[in-house]
Amino acid sequence: MSTVRLVDAEQAPLLARPYYADGDPGPIIGALAQVPELLTVAVPFLGAVLGPSAIGWRTKEIVIVRTSALHQCRYCAQTHTVVALDAGLRRDEVAALLRCGPGDHVFADPAERALLHWIDAVALGKGPVDEQATAGMTRHWADHEIVELTAVIGATVMLNRFATALGLPTGTATLDRLDAEGLR
Amino acid sequence: MTIAEAVADGRLPGRVWFYSNYHCNITCTYCLTDSGPTVARRELRSEQLVDGAREARELGFTDLGVTGGETFLTPWLPEALAEMSRSLPVVVLTNGTLFGRRLLARVEPLAKLPVALQISLDRPDPDANDAMRAPENFHKVVTAIPELVARGIQVRIATTVESIEDAELDRLCALHRELGVPDTDHVIRPIIRRGRAVDHALGVDATQPDLPAELTITADGAFWSPFGPTVHSGLLDTDLLITRTTGPLSVPAEALLRLVEGQPQGEDSTLNIR
Repeated sequence: MSTVRLVDAEQAPLLARPYYADGDPGPIIGALAQVPELLTVAVPFLGAVLGPSAIGWRTKEIVIVRTSALHQCRYCAQTHTVVALDAGLRRDEVAALLRCGPGDHVFADPAERALLHWIDAVALGKGPVDEQATAGMTRHWADHEIVELTAVIGATVMLNRFATALGLPTGTATLDRLDAEGLR
Repeated sequence: MTIAEAVADGRLPGRVWFYSNYHCNITCTYCLTDSGPTVARRELRSEQLVDGAREARELGFTDLGVTGGETFLTPWLPEALAEMSRSLPVVVLTNGTLFGRRLLARVEPLAKLPVALQISLDRPDPDANDAMRAPENFHKVVTAIPELVARGIQVRIATTVESIEDAELDRLCALHRELGVPDTDHVIRPIIRRGRAVDHALGVDATQPDLPAELTITADGAFWSPFGPTVHSGLLDTDLLITRTTGPLSVPAEALLRLVEGQPQGEDSTLNIR
């Protein structure tokens, strides 16, 4: 049960209607539609940060699942566990991200291992990011990639707190898929 | 295209509406806002109306409307109307039941200003009129109108009906002329099936293209039309919500203009809703 009423298609405000054109747009849109002028700027921003870009799909899902698990966001972690599998991550990789423990034994790519350290430091840390995490990132990733990946972490943290505070419900299809994959 | 240009060439209606409040001393069967004595007031502040009026003029709008709820339940309304009219002409909707001696004295200064009071009168017979509105409504209205007219205040009469026979309409028009209201100040409009009218299966369905895009400011946000911020079973309808932001007025006004520009021409006002 969500904290606020999720706007359905029948009550969708005028500026929000395009987001309902293809059916139920999901609970994030349903909540943001309460404030249409916020929805119309937030969705393009989130689409640019979290959607297809110069950063590969697999990499973005590593960031989103790990960050969501660190922030114990049920909605985001469950939803993006499914997306991560679709993006090509293995079950053991997803499970390692959800456990929030060291991923070195699962993720062989040193760039991805550096990224995990960066995510842990940025998503949960306070103050400056530690030098080891920074050094790992600058060794394996270009400046524009660091900027974008850090933006993905930040946007995910925002959504984590938004979805958790508002108690957004996970979709039935997602829950069924998690059951089928043994990841619920 | 600016708002002023859109208003000037008729793409955007010139009037901005303000819902001063949602509560009311009566409970009409077709009320859009489900208003009554016990509902949440959802009042705007006086300065929101006055500042909004000034911003509306600066943006290029040409007229103002104030509606509710019963507007004159807000104690500051007569003075706010006078202030608003310094910016643009105002029409204020009222059920006409509160005009005792004290309120008449307070609205008297409006006679010299571009302020019109639009009073609801649906039928020429007390029983038929009051069945849809409230006991004694007819008597109070036909008592108030001549008092207002005598003070030089412009009075318009709004008749809201599903249908009305010619003979009954003739008697209603004879009545409003007798009360001092000319034909040019009598508007007849349909009941819109929103709000409480849904519960009584009254009126016609109206969707966005049927309703003129008259920017409407409420305590809950800005809407496409004064027929937008309806309430049903205590819940606000958001299907005609534009923005939650109402100030500065340019925020919802610009959003409304974008919506109007995205709408094919010629699809509005099909129900003659005013």
